[in-house]
Amino acid sequence: MKRLISLLLTAVVLVTFCACAGNFAKIDLQEAVTIPDNGLIEKDIIEQIKTQNAIATFVGESNGIPYEWTIFGSDITQPKDLNLLISVEEAEQEANITFAQQEAFGFPVLLSVHLNALWDTQSATAYLGEQPVASVSLTGTDATILNLGLEETVEKFVVRPDVEPEKAVIPDVTKPEPEESSQQQPEKQPEQTKQQVAAPVDDYLSDVKESNDRVYSDGKTEDDRVYSDGKDTEKDQYLTDPVPEGKPMTVEPENQVIDKRKTYTCTFSIECSTILNNLEDLDPDKLEMVPSNGTILAKTEVEFYEGESVYDVLQRVCRENSIHMEASWTPIYNSSYVEGIHNLYEFDCGSLSGWMYRVDGWYPNYGCSRYQLKDGERVEWRYTCDLGNDVGGRNLF
Amino acid sequence: MALNHPLAQMISLGCACGYAVQVEGKKAVLFCLKFCLPIMLTAAVFNPAFSHEGVTILLYFPTGNPLTLESICYGLSAGIMIAAVMLWFLNFNRVITSDKFVYLFGRIIPALSLVLSMTLRFVPKFKAQMNTVIDAQRNIGRDISNGTIWQRIKIAVTVFSIMLTWSLENAIETADSMKSRGYGLKGRTAFSIYCFEERDKLAIGYLLFCVFYLLCGTFGSAFGFRFFPDIRCAPITPITVSFHIVYLGMCGLPMILNAIEEKKWKAIHSNM
Repeated sequence: MKRLISLLLTAVVLVTFCACAGNFAKIDLQEAVTIPDNGLIEKDIIEQIKTQNAIATFVGESNGIPYEWTIFGSDITQPKDLNLLISVEEAEQEANITFAQQEAFGFPVLLSVHLNALWDTQSATAYLGEQPVASVSLTGTDATILNLGLEETVEKFVVRPDVEPEKAVIPDVTKPEPEESSQQQPEKQPEQTKQQVAAPVDDYLSDVKESNDRVYSDGKTEDDRVYSDGKDTEKDQYLTDPVPEGKPMTVEPENQVIDKRKTYTCTFSIECSTILNNLEDLDPDKLEMVPSNGTILAKTEVEFYEGESVYDVLQRVCRENSIHMEASWTPIYNSSYVEGIHNLYEFDCGSLSGWMYRVDGWYPNYGCSRYQLKDGERVEWRYTCDLGNDVGGRNLF
Repeated sequence: MALNHPLAQMISLGCACGYAVQVEGKKAVLFCLKFCLPIMLTAAVFNPAFSHEGVTILLYFPTGNPLTLESICYGLSAGIMIAAVMLWFLNFNRVITSDKFVYLFGRIIPALSLVLSMTLRFVPKFKAQMNTVIDAQRNIGRDISNGTIWQRIKIAVTVFSIMLTWSLENAIETADSMKSRGYGLKGRTAFSIYCFEERDKLAIGYLLFCVFYLLCGTFGSAFGFRFFPDIRCAPITPITVSFHIVYLGMCGLPMILNAIEEKKWKAIHSNM
């Protein structure tokens, strides 16, 4: 009798245990589904994703190039049959994507294409014919992953890397100007390049070794920024490796002079598309913080005062757009360290993850409080899951 | 694996508080107000100063970091947890006296339980002896509260040295006396007024059931509650509510037993 009671008790408890498991209201990350040969994903499956508020991934392969679709249940407005088959043709610095889906998706979906080659570029654009239609976020450590947020469909996309505006100055005056790139850029480019090349000329002649970091400080041009000559070999007092040649030198926050009479503009964006490639590593509690297209703040023009650092602008931008941001002042690096944006924190997506910033295609090797912004620069905050390797900051560490 | 569901925490804190008042009376209320409440409030104030996670931004600190509702709630929850633990230990200390402790563990771990009960006893004993020594020293003209700082330090060092010698001697004496009485030897029995009755079996069975049931609940995330990035808890269903009821039944057991005993005692009184 006693044994029977205890058995019954155990059974009851086990049942409740099973009933309770996974009851916690969270977003469910579903296991990847392989796309069938005809590419058809039925309405029921999409409906299911919507009702479960899940995140689903569908994987496929075309010409040896794997690709995956990420669909957020919260995005789905009207479930319908989807054809997720695509064909990818990879060429030198180009990828042709042809879709099987005819009509518009009706809700945002994300397509990630794992190319074989590693594109030596920081961003890319999808073109329809010659018409640019969408900007593509590039991630990937060893090979480039194209991340396209789609809602409308067209038959065919061509994705080409953007040619980086050649703003970075090569101080070596003996070198000819980088001809190729500046020709492809709009007219204003050559002006700027000349201006900045002019600065190094003075300094190259002046005595370099004596004046420590501020080598180019007496370059009497409108742009009073100090550029690195690449001659330093030692770390500075804040444990920072020498700034590479031609890149802006650090401006310490304590030397910052903000002139509120002069306002400039720069473009700012915050994105985390690399998380979408590594959703399985993400802290499950944080799944709902990830925007379905990976963009937390789309590229926007931002005004700032002369002398402000990237950190100052980030702080203001986040506050104005009510984006959560946490940073802590780190004395040994003499800079603020951005721990988390939009509640996505460092280490949330694996032990090598965190926030990095890129200005005009270069990841500075010093903190964001030490980078003084200049007019027209393009600042991107990107989440990395691999110490920057997956977001184009390969040579940083 | 602590329960951070606010309902479970309130149950625990409430039961600990109620039992403390039952056992200690007014003193417990005072303890709650003097220690537990400040701890809870400090945790609620200090946590948001260091943690800025959470989706509900209330305002911004001068440093630029946000003050979030979630971090305040988390601080409060941590404070409640600390307060509950303190109160439970207060009750434990009151109810489990050293003779009970030695009775429970004297057989299984004789050395450790002796050491434990000796150390627990040592603190109040040391305090009392120190007061005696200080008084004695005062009577021969060496008052700690008098004289220059240098003189005071000298006297304090003397008192300390006396206490050190005394405590060593005391420990040796106790150990010798326990040894000569055959403590920990095989076959030695100890007098105790406790015996294992039917009701003890019942209580143990009940507690084991509660523990098992609650463990299932925690693994099944019935107590699921998270603070970051937004506050969210497991859905309220009959099953999840049943876990809270069982938790209440477990935490409230000492209080219920105490009340029943009191009632019995009073009933006997009136019959006489």
